[in-house]
Amino acid sequence: MKTEIKHQWIYEQSPYEVWKYLTQSELIALWLMPNNFEAVVGHEFEFRTNPIPSLELSGIFYCKVLEIVPFKKLTYSWKGGPVYGITTLDTIVEWTLEEQGNGTILNLKHSGFKGENYDILMGMTDGWLKNIQKMLDHIN
Amino acid sequence: MATPTLDAFQVIADPSRRQILYLLTKDSYNISNLAENFEMSRPAVSKHIGILETAGFITIKSIGRERFCTLNQDGFTELRNWIDHFDEFWNIKLKNLDTILKGKKNSN
Repeated sequence: MKTEIKHQWIYEQSPYEVWKYLTQSELIALWLMPNNFEAVVGHEFEFRTNPIPSLELSGIFYCKVLEIVPFKKLTYSWKGGPVYGITTLDTIVEWTLEEQGNGTILNLKHSGFKGENYDILMGMTDGWLKNIQKMLDHIN
Repeated sequence: MATPTLDAFQVIADPSRRQILYLLTKDSYNISNLAENFEMSRPAVSKHIGILETAGFITIKSIGRERFCTLNQDGFTELRNWIDHFDEFWNIKLKNLDTILKGKKNSN
């Protein structure tokens, strides 16, 4: 099952230009959402949009800057839930930029999506395989 | 036979139930075929299947006289809804970014 989202876009502008739109709060707001982002590792910020009742999400995403490689890579956590303090969506957004000619290849990876039963099932499968391994080790 | 209601962790705490789920990740089975994989009686296997069904891990479909077990997708629906939502969300946003970058270039 698919548990992450990947997108790739090619822009005519340089990585330097695209980077500004990923890391300057007022420029991010132009295309993504209102936010209080700062390009500082460890900085905690929020994106704000309308509530999404179908997903039981309040519309406020709580994020933290995890990694910055200027003009190349930006990673932040992306959490949300029905109300403040309850996290049902606990994911990671990773941007990478590559220079292509005069333009930029922008890659987005949004990962870490989990469903309750899916988690349990995968945890179970892992545990099960480990137990089989242990058994085989024991036999050998 | 009443099927006890267990939480998800109690449901998978049992090795036989884990093995049923594991088998169903590979293929769908009817109850007789599933029972062949176990040394316990068929009613005992049926009871485990009942517990898994009640907990939403599997669904049972009747086709003719056979009853087939498959992994239940409902437990994964929430996950799929989130992924679908954000997939489309990012598609729209990245298009926005393209429009804005192009607009900026034209106005220069």
